[in-house]
Amino acid sequence: MNILAISDLTVRFGGLTAVNSVSLDIPEKQIISVIGPNGAGKTTLFNAITGIHEPTRGRIRFSGEEARRPFRWTTAIALALIGLTAAFSLVLIVNAESLWETAITSNYIYQQAFSWSKAASSAVYYFGEEPGRRLIIPFLIGALVGLAGAYAIWERTRRAPEVAARAGIARTFQNIRLFNQMTVLDNVLLGMDGQLRTRFWHAALRLPLYWRERQESVQRAMEILRFVNLDEEAHQLAENLSYGHQRRLEIGRALAMQPRLVLLDEPAAGMNPAEAQELMKLIHDIRDRGVTVLLIEHHMTVVMGISDRIAVLDHGEKIAEGTPKEVRNNPRVIEAYLGKAYEDASPA
Amino acid sequence: MAARRKILFHWSFLLVAALIPLVELALPGNHRVGDLLRPIFIMAMLGLGLNILTGFTGLLNLGVAAFMAVGAYSYAILTCDIYPFRLGFWAATVVTVLVGLTVGFCLGLPTIRLRGDYLAIVTLGFGEIVEDVLKNLDAITKGTQGINPLPAPSVFGYQFRPETYQPWYYLFLGFLAILVLLNRNLQHSRIGRAWISIREDELASSCMGINPMKMKLLAFALGAAQCSLAGALWASYLGSSGEPGNYDFQVSVIALCMVIVGGMGNIGGVLLGALVITGFNSIVLETLTNFLKAHQLISSSNVFTSPGSWKYMLYGLALILMMRFRPEGLLPSKQVKAELHPQEPHAPPPSV
Repeated sequence: MNILAISDLTVRFGGLTAVNSVSLDIPEKQIISVIGPNGAGKTTLFNAITGIHEPTRGRIRFSGEEARRPFRWTTAIALALIGLTAAFSLVLIVNAESLWETAITSNYIYQQAFSWSKAASSAVYYFGEEPGRRLIIPFLIGALVGLAGAYAIWERTRRAPEVAARAGIARTFQNIRLFNQMTVLDNVLLGMDGQLRTRFWHAALRLPLYWRERQESVQRAMEILRFVNLDEEAHQLAENLSYGHQRRLEIGRALAMQPRLVLLDEPAAGMNPAEAQELMKLIHDIRDRGVTVLLIEHHMTVVMGISDRIAVLDHGEKIAEGTPKEVRNNPRVIEAYLGKAYEDASPA
Repeated sequence: MAARRKILFHWSFLLVAALIPLVELALPGNHRVGDLLRPIFIMAMLGLGLNILTGFTGLLNLGVAAFMAVGAYSYAILTCDIYPFRLGFWAATVVTVLVGLTVGFCLGLPTIRLRGDYLAIVTLGFGEIVEDVLKNLDAITKGTQGINPLPAPSVFGYQFRPETYQPWYYLFLGFLAILVLLNRNLQHSRIGRAWISIREDELASSCMGINPMKMKLLAFALGAAQCSLAGALWASYLGSSGEPGNYDFQVSVIALCMVIVGGMGNIGGVLLGALVITGFNSIVLETLTNFLKAHQLISSSNVFTSPGSWKYMLYGLALILMMRFRPEGLLPSKQVKAELHPQEPHAPPPSV
């Protein structure tokens, strides 16, 4: 069973093709590595999977579906409401002063009773005098602009990172992107956000649900911190952690989302061999929890040690895929990393 | 330790403020300190609204005075007897807050994808537009003279009078306390956490499943609603909507100064900022000018010798010194302080 199916994915930035018709199937509950020289398009691939970049061509299916915001009836209602708001606003803006005078000022005698029905009929009369210029044209223009603008924004953000995240794809970043000025615990709690049921009113009035959920979520966050071995640093600010700890916190934050697929972008970068060993164990543990791991890594001991399968990218194209052993002996991979030997090169 | 003191600051501020009129009544003589504090409460509410936008969510807004103007004018239109609505204090206040929510939401919608400086420019423009509209929409807003007189509010059957300031004082203080409580509750919930994460790193935040658009719209709506509440109370206090020039760019900048001087993203800091900046303007400068005049040290004909004429220069100087020596504000939030002094070690806060 493939949890992620990438077919014929191409991502182009202007003239630069970062990823060129890559197809890749990620089976469930395995550790898959993506390797390749710098600039091979590995991170772009990750960004496309997590909805940061829109694919130029091709499809990414996560457990059978594309991670896009669905068009539901609430979407339609929201769009219609925005359109109507814009339409009515424009009608009011165009007629503000004269409408006010016709409906309100002329019907109101200082401190006397005011008849709303009379005001309404004045307003109807006002619009009836010149319906095209006063009502219909501004209404149509407003509705058109409001609807088109709202729809354009909605359409452009259909494939947003939060949609992929809510579907169950978590990730870490190549250059660590923690919330530096939040505590370690808060970073993990933020990752948990999708599972919380507290709404605005619960939080504003501190209803019982708020307290209960706060206690539960802190407890769960501490469990995750124990799992990544950071429970003692829970109340430190994230930026005060050492580099290796920050890497682990990023993984913990991703796990807090209870994802089914975790993308780790160079988790071992800058780690010493002992830390890398620890990390390998951690990745194994994550897989054993039933989470699929997709890994970008340059650290070959880590890659060869833990991957179930490896895909190799070079210049945006997939040049090899297979078990670690197969990949290690693949001539195209060796060529991509070390270059091709000149035919006439003398052994120096 | 530091965290504990901060948690207490806004409560002690409110408590001390609640005691001032009582102390004044007990002391012999005629004191007006409490009277002078009323505008500070209003400005503090404005600052709290801005703090949600700029302090928590990181949306630089240079047009909060416009939200305040919207509040003041809708309250004035709804209560003044030259118009047929003539609502009571509570009804008008509730409607005004709803209007503020809507206006914030409507300004948030088209600007939702703008960041940093670009958003600041748009909000600056919005502030100018609102001021100009109020000036020129004569039929509704009465142009530059403003809508007046407004009836003094009557709260729970008690009729307010302009000459006794205590009821107003406690009314404003009560609203301020409610806002402080609301903002604190939100700050320490998933909503505040999401706001702060957007300020820290919007992309990472959205990769964690936070919908930045939704959270920003919520921040806009809530911030605008609080600012318009400040405007409504201000109008009820003045007995007039004020003229459009009362809600110009300077007010927005002063609100921003309060948030910066007090400490971004910290509720107690905003209260302190309001106290320092508005207090400096309406208490220190005023008293100093009166004192100098009384002792014939300055003449009223020469504007250069009046301390009030120097206030913007003094603000500027204070901000420069502030940025040089204490960029995180007088009473910073733990987070912003760390941002500006990255090398300092931090003691872990005592508890969750």
